[in-house]
Amino acid sequence: MRELTYVEALRECMSQEMRENENVFILGEDIGVYGGAFGVTRGMIEEFGPERVRNTPISEAGITGSAIGSALTGMQPIVELQFSDFITIAMDQLANQAAKLRYMYGGKGNVPMVLRTPAGSGTGAAAQHSQSLEAWVAHIPGLKVVQPSTAYDAKGLLKAAIDDPNPVIFYEHKLLYKTSSEDVPEKMYSLPLGQADIKREGTEVTIVATSVMVHRALEAAEVLAEEGISVEVIDPRSIVPLDEETIVQSVIKTNRVIIAHEAVKRGGYGGEIASMITESEAFDFLDAPVKRLGASPVPVPYNPELEKAMTPQTEDLVQACRESLQRA
Amino acid sequence: MAKEIFMPKLSSTMETGTILQWMKKEGDPVEMGEPVFEVMSDKINIEVEAYEEGVLLKKYYDVDDVVPVNTIVGYIGEEEEEVPETAPEEPAPEETSQEEEPKEYADTVPATADANGQIRATPAARRVAKENGVLLSDMEGSGPKQRIHQQDVYDYVQAAGEKPKATPLARKRAEEQNLDLNTVEGSGPGSKIYAKDLTGSGQKTTGAEPGRIPVKGIRKIVADRMAESASTVPHVTLYSEVDMTEAIRLRSQLQDKIVEETGYKLSYTEIMMKAVAEALKRHPYLNASLSADQQEILLHKEINVGLAVATEQGLVVPVVPRAGEKGLTALVQASKQLAENARNQRLQPEQMQGGTFTISNLGMYAVDGFTPIINQPEAAILGVGQMKETPAEENGNVVFRPKTTFSLSFDHRIVDGAPAAAFLSDVKQLIEAPYELLM
Repeated sequence: MRELTYVEALRECMSQEMRENENVFILGEDIGVYGGAFGVTRGMIEEFGPERVRNTPISEAGITGSAIGSALTGMQPIVELQFSDFITIAMDQLANQAAKLRYMYGGKGNVPMVLRTPAGSGTGAAAQHSQSLEAWVAHIPGLKVVQPSTAYDAKGLLKAAIDDPNPVIFYEHKLLYKTSSEDVPEKMYSLPLGQADIKREGTEVTIVATSVMVHRALEAAEVLAEEGISVEVIDPRSIVPLDEETIVQSVIKTNRVIIAHEAVKRGGYGGEIASMITESEAFDFLDAPVKRLGASPVPVPYNPELEKAMTPQTEDLVQACRESLQRA
Repeated sequence: MAKEIFMPKLSSTMETGTILQWMKKEGDPVEMGEPVFEVMSDKINIEVEAYEEGVLLKKYYDVDDVVPVNTIVGYIGEEEEEVPETAPEEPAPEETSQEEEPKEYADTVPATADANGQIRATPAARRVAKENGVLLSDMEGSGPKQRIHQQDVYDYVQAAGEKPKATPLARKRAEEQNLDLNTVEGSGPGSKIYAKDLTGSGQKTTGAEPGRIPVKGIRKIVADRMAESASTVPHVTLYSEVDMTEAIRLRSQLQDKIVEETGYKLSYTEIMMKAVAEALKRHPYLNASLSADQQEILLHKEINVGLAVATEQGLVVPVVPRAGEKGLTALVQASKQLAENARNQRLQPEQMQGGTFTISNLGMYAVDGFTPIINQPEAAILGVGQMKETPAEENGNVVFRPKTTFSLSFDHRIVDGAPAAAFLSDVKQLIEAPYELLM
């Protein structure tokens, strides 16, 4: 199979879709000749022209509002926000318009839009360009929230997001853009939202990890395997909707669970997943406290060492697993 | 320092316990683990073992006294030690005292119920403990702060499979005596070993040895009372064959009506009870007892008929009070409920007291007649055998009649042969012509 990077997979998905589906267009800041802040749309303006690859003014509220309006008229816009930190500016449009309109019009209007935006730290981009705010949008009924962790998932999930008649917030990760999958089919495919992926099977402890944490969890599982500890890694892929069943079944099997995300632990989505587990059938199977790993409650530091220190790293996951198994 | 002996709380619903017997007198030395007294609760009777070594300084209650749980019933301590002259009023805190070996009964309680929020265990450990019917309080946790994990429960269950069942006290004492519990035969449910089972043990039992059942509880009561009655009361037993034709007719005529009224079936026992009660009215000497000092004969005003009931635990005799005033419907109601309670071990002590006459019916077995032993201090007891078709003379022909043999044992100290025979004749007459019961 072909090896493709995360960026290439996203670009390929959008291009293939735009070739087939004339309702799809993309809009965002500097996505034209410049190719966007991380080069995801590089070369697309040459193929599709400025009508379908639209550069916008620097106004996230304006970009998002335009997308919502066009979606209501039947288009399928894909918004790119340069940094997911700026979603705060688009929040009124997202929370009060995009998420509500289909409901308030009794289903007579849809908002089939996708908002793509890179999140996460690790690039030295400092406090205003490094956050992971997915819990903000996950809280709003009416918005779907996707966090692909691999190139393969990115292409399939983006296709599902474009096809979805509801607004989908599609969180990409800056550190993952250059990672690649060896098995990305050229032919278009769709990965259903709300279906978790067991990235590694194991029997003794489950790690539920999102986005970049999936890779750290897999590294941790590798380290622990050498110690004879069998770790299962589950990637929810979308946190709204959340595949509760896969997580619950895994915890019933392993009796221990660690939930890891890059977002600040306080108020993060890990709390939601942890509560879901303890409210579920899995409660009676828990043999250790549910453990959450998330960032410290501080602004993301510019200093690369501090930046690394505030977010969970592979070693933190290894340690958490050992504690859960009382082998710390 | 003298230690209290408490009335144990043996089940979650137990509020009072009846003292069945004291194994020790005041001043007797008491070994740790030795039974001190036997108590009957609403469900079971059990010997309460001493948790202290010393002298039984005081017992505040006598046999048959009904004592609220957690009340101090006595003290164990050093000789000459001072203890209150009367029972301390204040009941002990709700907590179960250690004397009672609470774990004996807790096996059936789900582990989580035992936790009281005090035991640190994971949900998985609790689930596994519950599934295996083991107590979290019995095991040690390997986790932080002694938290019990799933594996700890598995380990415990596995170890328990290899270890004989024993009470913590028995285990402790076996350890002290360097005794292998595998060589001890337990007297408890599921051969659970009690501390007292340790005495005289130590040799491996062989297949040739007889099974040993300790004489305790109901068995003990029956044993004592029967031995006493048989050895002190001059028994005479009279036999009479009773034609049951009319009783059968009566029963079939009333059956539907009584089932409708009570939900229970009318059996011959109740018809006999009715006849006996009626006959007792005419023969007060049979409804009598000897006073404790044997100086007087007490003629009872009430006719309270006891009914011997076989239970898994042994013989019990619940009493139908005022049977003489009851019609058949009320007798059916009363006796069926008592028998049910008896079999479910739910009889209250007062439901077994106050009897003035007893009927023991073995008619469901291939028994014709027998010599029933009088239920002291009553004056007599009527034994009933099986009903069978018996040849009889009628107008010069031989016909078959359903007949039952009645065996009346009476206390010859209270009543003589002739009046007893007259009583039995009346009972026979009332059953053969039951319309007399209407008079």
